[in-house]
Amino acid sequence: MPNLVEQIREALSMFALANTQPALIGGLAVAAHSVVRATKDIDFLLEAEAADRVHDALLRLGYQCIHRSEDAANYVRGTEGLDLLYAHRPLARHLLAQASQRDTPMGRLRVISVEGLIGFKLQGYVNDPTRTRDLEDIRALVKIHRASLDMTQLHEYFALFDQHKLLMELVAENGH
Amino acid sequence: MVTKTHFALNESAIAADSSTVLVREAGVPYRPQRANEDPIAEWISLMEVVQILCPVWPVRDKPMLGNQWKL
Repeated sequence: MPNLVEQIREALSMFALANTQPALIGGLAVAAHSVVRATKDIDFLLEAEAADRVHDALLRLGYQCIHRSEDAANYVRGTEGLDLLYAHRPLARHLLAQASQRDTPMGRLRVISVEGLIGFKLQGYVNDPTRTRDLEDIRALVKIHRASLDMTQLHEYFALFDQHKLLMELVAENGH
Repeated sequence: MVTKTHFALNESAIAADSSTVLVREAGVPYRPQRANEDPIAEWISLMEVVQILCPVWPVRDKPMLGNQWKL
């Protein structure tokens, strides 16, 4: 699978040249947190101050920007995609700062915490309820990490999106 | 298609029912990480197989939806 691995390596090099250290979120971060499933989603949480630098760098690498707002951007290059979420609110900034480092075959990656990942998955699901895969990811992450999750953080994220009832369902399913 | 029901089942039941996820997840259901294996390395190994079976995946053709960006 050279293309996907090389695409991530190239992105990591680009981020380093742009002097920024984003954190992996999305489907690959789900895999990093031990829920291994097929995905080609390459999503990063990026400090908002680096948005312009990274945008220019991605265009130089041949990506086309199909959407960009103050919160997110989507890039495609042929059959490859890369999505960015911008950390400009305190919660996202904190999660980005707290991301852990992993040495991987693609290079050193920063990965958002499992609680933060659940929060971003919840945001994605609330924004587009047709993306049921986000809900499936949340369910799998809660199931696997139920013994070590910081429930205070999760309560905060689910309350933020008025999804407290959903959290209670997940808790009940996993015997918290 | 992976459904909520899958997560209420035990691992053997998931394996027995794996045919239901063939289309959605290229034949590979969710499963916990095997002991002592790096999950990223496992994902790379998985995707090598997936890309052989399905060389071209659809790319995003519409932007992220929604107006609830609160994190």
